[in-house]
Amino acid sequence: MIVVTTDLIPGREIVETLGLVRGNTVRSRHALRVFAALFKQLVGGEVHEYTKLLAETREQALDRMIDEAHSQHADAVVGVRFASTEISRAAAEFMAYGTAVKLAPKRDVR
Amino acid sequence: MTPEEREPSPDQLLAMAYADGELTAEARRTFEARLAREPDLVREVAEHLRLDVLARRAAGPEPADFEWKRLASETLQRSGLGVGWTLLLGGSTALFVWAAIKVALSDLDLAAKLALAALGVGVGLVGAFTVRARLRTLHLDPYRDLER
Repeated sequence: MIVVTTDLIPGREIVETLGLVRGNTVRSRHALRVFAALFKQLVGGEVHEYTKLLAETREQALDRMIDEAHSQHADAVVGVRFASTEISRAAAEFMAYGTAVKLAPKRDVR
Repeated sequence: MTPEEREPSPDQLLAMAYADGELTAEARRTFEARLAREPDLVREVAEHLRLDVLARRAAGPEPADFEWKRLASETLQRSGLGVGWTLLLGGSTALFVWAAIKVALSDLDLAAKLALAALGVGVGLVGAFTVRARLRTLHLDPYRDLER
């Protein structure tokens, strides 16, 4: 499955647009981690607890989008975007969305 | 031949194909029916997804990672944090128990005491069973090892 943020894929042409595919998830860290993160915010620098939270959330949302594209028998998802929101201080929502398409090798037009 | 070098079983191959979205619609339905009643197969799919996620996202360590690791193994850092967390959790628990005893011995109406007791037990039960559900499904979460 090709997943790109661009609208086109070099060397391939889009022969069918299957429509919007998306995946989202909301994840949180456990309370002790959130508490530790609060202390880290006091002293500055990277807050690993939240970096990890966002990484987990981002990848799960992306995988769910890809699963949806698979279920539509897509060859690629183009124009992929991410959107994130804060559900609460300790929970993050990520949504990945894009357009599922069918591809074919590009024909030479001379 | 080590266990790691052993040829994957037909079920392992099927789990990989399922996780990679390579099964036909019919084969997928059949496999999902098996997943509903075979926990070992569920674990197989989860393990494959976990490795797949890690392989795709593996990023090299950054300089600070080495220092974090060294710091984490330092006795002063470990014991300081350990004592801190123990005092924090112990203090919170002691405070909660003290408050519960105070309420129980206070002049509050019996009905109010029962309501507070019900509230406390309710929160405790919901908390305990939420933790239980998380622990039961933790090994099936392929994203838990992601760091950044």
